[in-house]
Amino acid sequence: MGHLYTTREKYAPEQLEEVKKKYTPPELVCCAGSREVIDREVVFVGIGVSDLAGAVAKLVHTPNVILVAEAGYIGFPSIAVLISPADNSAGVMAMCHQSLPEMFIDQQSGFVDVAYLGFAQMDKYGNVNVSYITGQQVKMNGSGGGGDTASSAGRVVYTVEFNPRQWVEKVDYITEPGFLDGSRDARKKANLVGGGPSAVATNRGVFRFSPETHELYLAEVFPWQDEEDIEEVRKSFPWDLKVAEGLKIMEPPTERELWALRLMDSTSNYILASVLDRPIGKIILAGRLNLEGYDEYLGMQEKAIREILESVS
Amino acid sequence: MATKELRTINYEERAKDADYKRKLNKVMTEKEAVETFLHDGDSFCIGGFVMWRQPESVFREMARQAKKNLSIIDESGTFEGIDLLVELGMLDRIDIAYAITRQVGGISGTPAVERGLKEGLPRPVEAGGVMATPKDKVKSDVTPLKIVDWTNFQVSLRFVAGAFNVPFMPCRSSFGTDIPRYNNDIREISDPYENKPLILIPACKPDVAFISVQRADQRGNGQIWGFKGTDYWKGRAAKHVVLLTEELVPTEKIYENAGLTVIPAYCTDAVVHLPFNGHPTGCFGCYTVDSINFIALLLERQSRDGALEWLDEWVYGCKNHFEYCDKVGWEKLDRLAKSEHKLSRIPG
Repeated sequence: MGHLYTTREKYAPEQLEEVKKKYTPPELVCCAGSREVIDREVVFVGIGVSDLAGAVAKLVHTPNVILVAEAGYIGFPSIAVLISPADNSAGVMAMCHQSLPEMFIDQQSGFVDVAYLGFAQMDKYGNVNVSYITGQQVKMNGSGGGGDTASSAGRVVYTVEFNPRQWVEKVDYITEPGFLDGSRDARKKANLVGGGPSAVATNRGVFRFSPETHELYLAEVFPWQDEEDIEEVRKSFPWDLKVAEGLKIMEPPTERELWALRLMDSTSNYILASVLDRPIGKIILAGRLNLEGYDEYLGMQEKAIREILESVS
Repeated sequence: MATKELRTINYEERAKDADYKRKLNKVMTEKEAVETFLHDGDSFCIGGFVMWRQPESVFREMARQAKKNLSIIDESGTFEGIDLLVELGMLDRIDIAYAITRQVGGISGTPAVERGLKEGLPRPVEAGGVMATPKDKVKSDVTPLKIVDWTNFQVSLRFVAGAFNVPFMPCRSSFGTDIPRYNNDIREISDPYENKPLILIPACKPDVAFISVQRADQRGNGQIWGFKGTDYWKGRAAKHVVLLTEELVPTEKIYENAGLTVIPAYCTDAVVHLPFNGHPTGCFGCYTVDSINFIALLLERQSRDGALEWLDEWVYGCKNHFEYCDKVGWEKLDRLAKSEHKLSRIPG
């Protein structure tokens, strides 16, 4: 695994605040998530942040993983973040172009070792909602392939920005199965193929699931997360969140990880939350829907792809 | 719906329809194809997958022809196209796994669906049996648009079962979740061999499949380069198959790379030669996604008024897809093609 650990003692206390400021939340999420796979594994990537983590894994830590995207692309080098699983950047230099049902058949047969997904709500046992927030009457995107992947991938790594509202006693709608009611062998009894969620990588630590109780606990934090910060994290949970006895301290994002991330997301789709703040939003707001605007935007993508292609080939 | 879609093939009916499938030259215009094969009350599906090789032009043509009471079955939809039909109240039912809502950077990816859910306009919405437009916003004579939730694999298996000509396909997705709980078309059984739980997904045989391909000949051999999505199965499950092709080639050219043929001529009813039919989505090896156009149109369509203006300009203001391309600007379309060709180009 690409796990990188450190100790708090390596940093002078006054230094920590400064180190923390160097990184954005999506950078922390993607880099922490990228360290969750073992080389030569088959890795199912989602889109956006759930693809970036896999991309960084492939480019930096575990070069022999086989990335797969649900539209039917297998074994691509990862040359740009996937906004869709059908993106051309997954098709180029891929080992195999196949179909969507074949992708899920392969997953149901057990070929996919680990998958990256995101979520809006999660409960204590890793059951996930990406469909409906009933209180506010919000319809979200829905399962897509998430329900299938959480059912059948060997294990699932969730990559999300930490948000206190995402942790709930009971999700409004179970879109993706975690450990269901948390009972022993619940997944096996249900006849699910995959092993269920293994980690939740966030900008405020990595959470894992107890092998006995299947309950979510805090397993790893960044060096700047002191007792106070951890207490604040714990208070975001509607249940008494356990913290690992041997809480590990993660290395902050490395230069190499950040290099990969920036090239992958050359048009800041996942670094800037609002589309209007991104280069594309600025081009549109300036009314530059002309050839010059297209040249600028597509040129940014093309330049980043050239750089990645040079480094992987 | 289940009974209608679960019907087995009526061979008499198919023989009548086979007139189209047996033609040697199936080339027609998009307008003719939509007029001929898609009728009010029909169900349809489209090829491709999220933002790639999705025949967006067909939605604009359906809008121009003001079709009624349609239903679409799709994995992860062409949000823009579906939302356009929702804006016009043309859809009665959407069977879908994923439709982007708030994840386009703070703006809605499906503004018409959201408006329907909140305000009942353009039409009230009933989503997944979980939420619906508030009762005071629903007029008694209006049937709400029904949205039914599936997973991607499950939707694709509906077409696999349809193509197999069997009533269902089994799978092991979404045990213990709310998807089978709220979607009554999904059944859970104990399988007769191993006595373990099994999920059954009902077949779907849509009336029409509109499938974008990179290359086709006039007899209807459709070649696809890159990911295949579920197009192989959609092309076999649907009663009528309309290919929208970037390039119309002589059959000689098909022989050269027969391995790329996903839809053989016997599946196909019509071939529409329509370059850039996917715009603003992309087409692998032909042109990349037009993200600028996509975001700009979403911004414009956030409000009902904006959406209606957009429709006037881009749908009703264009007689056909070529006028739409004129309006987008061929130099910009060529720029998208150039960007794609730097990465990939269909072989041969």
